[in-house]
Amino acid sequence: MNPEKYRHITDQQLLDSFYTDHNPEWLGILLPRYTLLLLGVCMKYLKNEEEAKDCVQQIFLKVITELKKYRVDYFKSWLYMVAKNHCLMRIRDRQGKIHVELTERYMSTPQEEADMAGLLRNDHVIDLMSQSLSELSPEQKQCVNLFYLQKKSYQEISEQTGFTMLQVKSYIQNGKRNLRLLIEKKLRERK
Amino acid sequence: MSDNLKDILSNLSPEIDQETLLLYLQNKLSAEKKHEIEKKLLENEFAGDAEEGLREIKDKERIAYMVEMLNRDLKKKLEKKKQRREKMRIKDQPWMYMSVIILILLIVIAYVVIRLYMKSK
Repeated sequence: MNPEKYRHITDQQLLDSFYTDHNPEWLGILLPRYTLLLLGVCMKYLKNEEEAKDCVQQIFLKVITELKKYRVDYFKSWLYMVAKNHCLMRIRDRQGKIHVELTERYMSTPQEEADMAGLLRNDHVIDLMSQSLSELSPEQKQCVNLFYLQKKSYQEISEQTGFTMLQVKSYIQNGKRNLRLLIEKKLRERK
Repeated sequence: MSDNLKDILSNLSPEIDQETLLLYLQNKLSAEKKHEIEKKLLENEFAGDAEEGLREIKDKERIAYMVEMLNRDLKKKLEKKKQRREKMRIKDQPWMYMSVIILILLIVIAYVVIRLYMKSK
C-alpha cells in the first residue's frame, strides 16, 4: 500500500469510511501515519526498544478493537491517550505502581485553537507579553528569548547556555505556559 | 519583533509529517527548518513526547527500519482480519441459498399435497 496515494485523504475521512463499511483496509492507511509517533511515545515511557515495539503492536490491536465499538471524533488526541494509558499500564505491571488512567484530552481542539487565535488578536497582548517575559525565571526567559526571538534551535541554545536539550525544551515549554497564564491574568485584571 | 512574540502564543498547524520528523532526528535539516520543527514540537504534545522518546534510540538510522517492520506487521494482521471477514461472508452465503431452496421445496410439496387432497374429495 502506497501511503502517498492516500495523502490527500484526511484522518477523519478514513475513519468515516471505516465506520461506513468496517473494512480494515482503511485502518491500514490511517494507523501507519502514526507508527513513528507511537514508537516514540512508547520509547519515552518504557525506555526499551523491544518493549516499545511490542507495545506499539498491542496499541494497534487495541485501536482496531476499540474503533469497532464506538465512534471517535478526535482521532489523534484519542490515539495519544490510548498510547499513554497503555504505556502507564505496562509500567504499573512492571513496577506494581498505582495506575492513573488518563481520561482528559491532552491536545488542543479546534475550538481551543480558535480561542488562542482570539487572544492573539487582542491589541494589548503584545504589550503584555513583553512585560510578562521579564517576569519569567531567568532560565525560562533566556530559553524563550533565544528560541522565539532569536530563532535558535534547541541544539544551538544548549551549546550557548550549557543546558541539556531536554532542559532547553522544558524551559521553553514551561516558559510558554507561564507566559500564557500571566497574560490571561493581566487581561482579567484589566477588565 | 511583534510577529516573533506572537509565535510564542500561536498554536496553529502544528502538524509534522513522519518523514520530516525522522530527518530532524537524524540531524539532516537546516538550522532554519530545525527551528521550525521545534516550534511545532512545542505545540504538538504527541509529537513532542515522541521526539523525546525517539532521541533515546541511539542508532537513528534504524528508526525507519523499525517503523517499516511495525507497518508490515500491522498490514499482515489487517489482511488476516480481512480474510476472516471474507470467509465469514462466503460461509454465510451457502446457508442462505440452502434456506431458499428448502423454502421453495416446501411450498411445492405443500401445493402438491393440497392439490391431491382436493382431488381426492
